[in-house]
Amino acid sequence: MDIEFSPELEAFRREVAEFLDTAPTPEIREAGRKMTSVFAPFETVMAWHKILHAKGWSAPAWPKQYGGPGWSAEQRFIFAEEYWKRDLPPLLPNGLQMVGPLLMEVGSEEQKAKYLPGILSGEDYWTQGYSEPGAGSDLAALNCSAVADGDDYIINGQKIWTTLAHKANRMFMLVRTSSEGKKQQGITFLLLERTDYPGMEIRPIIGLDGIPEQCEVFFENVRVPQSARVGAENDGWSVAKALLKHERGGSAGSPAMYRKLELIRAAAADTPSPHGGSLLGDPVFQRDLGELEAEIASHAAFEKLVISRHPITADPSLPSVNKVISSELAQRVSVMMTRVAGIEALPLQHAALEVGSGVEPLGSDLDLVAMPYYLNSRATTIYAGTNEVQRDLISRVLPTA
Amino acid sequence: MDFTYTSEQEMLRDSLGKLLAQGYSFDQRQALLRSGQPHSPAIWAHLRDMGLLALPFAEADGGLGGSASDLVAIGELLGRHLVVEPYLSSILLGGRALALGGARAGALLEAVIAGEALVALAHEERHGVGPLALMGTTLEQGRLTGEKRLVLGGAEAAALIVSARAGDRLALVKVDPAAAGVTLREYTTIDGHRAATVAFADVAADVLLDDAEAALDAVLEGALLALCAEAVGAMGALLQASSAYAATRKQFGVPIGSFQAIAHRLADMKVACAKAHALLLYTTALIETGNGGSRDIALLKAQIGRLGRSVGESAVQVHGGIGMTDELAVGHYLKRILAVEAMLGSTDYHLRRVGAG
Repeated sequence: MDIEFSPELEAFRREVAEFLDTAPTPEIREAGRKMTSVFAPFETVMAWHKILHAKGWSAPAWPKQYGGPGWSAEQRFIFAEEYWKRDLPPLLPNGLQMVGPLLMEVGSEEQKAKYLPGILSGEDYWTQGYSEPGAGSDLAALNCSAVADGDDYIINGQKIWTTLAHKANRMFMLVRTSSEGKKQQGITFLLLERTDYPGMEIRPIIGLDGIPEQCEVFFENVRVPQSARVGAENDGWSVAKALLKHERGGSAGSPAMYRKLELIRAAAADTPSPHGGSLLGDPVFQRDLGELEAEIASHAAFEKLVISRHPITADPSLPSVNKVISSELAQRVSVMMTRVAGIEALPLQHAALEVGSGVEPLGSDLDLVAMPYYLNSRATTIYAGTNEVQRDLISRVLPTA
Repeated sequence: MDFTYTSEQEMLRDSLGKLLAQGYSFDQRQALLRSGQPHSPAIWAHLRDMGLLALPFAEADGGLGGSASDLVAIGELLGRHLVVEPYLSSILLGGRALALGGARAGALLEAVIAGEALVALAHEERHGVGPLALMGTTLEQGRLTGEKRLVLGGAEAAALIVSARAGDRLALVKVDPAAAGVTLREYTTIDGHRAATVAFADVAADVLLDDAEAALDAVLEGALLALCAEAVGAMGALLQASSAYAATRKQFGVPIGSFQAIAHRLADMKVACAKAHALLLYTTALIETGNGGSRDIALLKAQIGRLGRSVGESAVQVHGGIGMTDELAVGHYLKRILAVEAMLGSTDYHLRRVGAG
């Protein structure tokens, strides 16, 4: 066993730190401090994406041949640690962590050449068109249809929970191309190079936090070329399963949680306790903060085992275990933030939350983000397969002897 | 022992329920919030006509001398309909604190009871509520200095009733919000109410009561009881909505309520609602019969806060993605419960008071 990073890696850490200290604009830093979701404020984070791209660092996990830096898992972990220490907004995941890796795995040469550069540079944002009103956890029940017509497909139906679709210029989606056989068998995976096709309508949905992050997308006789397909017709389910792996884990989430713990600790030191002294000096609060740190430590250790390719990575339920741990941890962290903010978490402060608004928040930075982050985080145990479904998946592969 | 409502209370609930069903549906409530009005003058006039504004005041103050259970009986309905009328702010907090001034309350109290004026209580500070020794707002020689937080209805109030530390006593004073030295920052809360942060810089104040700690505690306890009733009303609405949704929403070809994970979550919600409801009614009876005190209220507030949060979070989870939208009432109930949990002493605060003995 060895817990140290090598001297070469520590030199790498210094290089990363220096760039992250100097490259982000004040607006980008502001966007990072005002994060209340997995998805950073759109315009600002896309500007930051382009700056990172110019440095060659927009896609830490991508191999060199596609324009990635070719970093090792350890380098990526160090990058994430340094990144979160500075409260920088994370780049949007859909292109870099989902469509991109998927195309590398199963896309045609033409698709790779056409789409990977825009994902890497931040010119494009891809929204995910999976869920439908009747197909959430039971994704295979989807029935938004695509019917072949000459060289095209004609799409009819509806998608929902298409994150930031109103800002996206591209969309990857699952459509039904056959109703024969098992419901998983008639699904096809499509890449839409536009989100403004005739017959396509996007309506934002206001969330609990009052922010329009999700959307509904309606398709009425939308014509797209068949070259938009990834994999074979009716084989979209296996394509999507390959992609879901990326959504359900494999990223470094614990550095972000450690950073939030630090912010909570600092804010609690500055918050008066109703029992006298500071909240941080309150033994009950200390005990609960200790418990939260222990939970974060477990998650961080788990992630480190994964990146070191420990045998647990062979566990078939690993993505589900990781999803349950990370989603429930994010919720616990968000609850602790609202607990520190107390009544200061109750004002609605949409204007102050907007990057570049110049509106002074009523309280501290933590007071400003605590409640919207808490409310937004209620979705973590719902999206990407509810935690009820994840627990089913975990229990199904438990040893029975 | 009898913990049921009286026939008069049932009649009052019946007429209030009808009024709210007609004039305060969720859609009407949302339209009211979008209109930018802090509350509905028409509904407020109805509440006055039903006697609700006068209900909690003593007959000597021009009120109806209502009991603790009267306020709980209507509080549940106010919670069930997510009412944003200034009942808590101007009647149960501001009005009842003003009434502590006796003759000094003057014509303003009459106007409040008549629904012609609103008042607000400025009591919480940055740490929320706490012992007098920690109160930062002070009164010295009739001048008020300090800052109050979460002043519900502060910007609409004709007068602010402010608690302040005067030596080793708690004084209750009346301040004109337009007076020199008063700075008010208004905001809307996550649950659609209006509130303000109010700073006082050497402001002239009229003393209502110069040794008000025990009297103000009684006002706060009455308000907490009504607030807990609101939360219990909201919890009941969440249980009902969630079990109905689970029975109709299908995934994998069957209603999601047929999955044990969902069924047990709903059962846990039911258990939480039963615990909350029972404790609410029993505590109400303790207070009404003169057998209860601040410790019982603290215990209730903490328990309702814990159970309410759990029911609210479960309701969102059972509803899945649709539960995350502003369009559904579910999230608004959760936000009301979160606000109730945070205000007038958090769950942590009250649990420690109970645990201390």
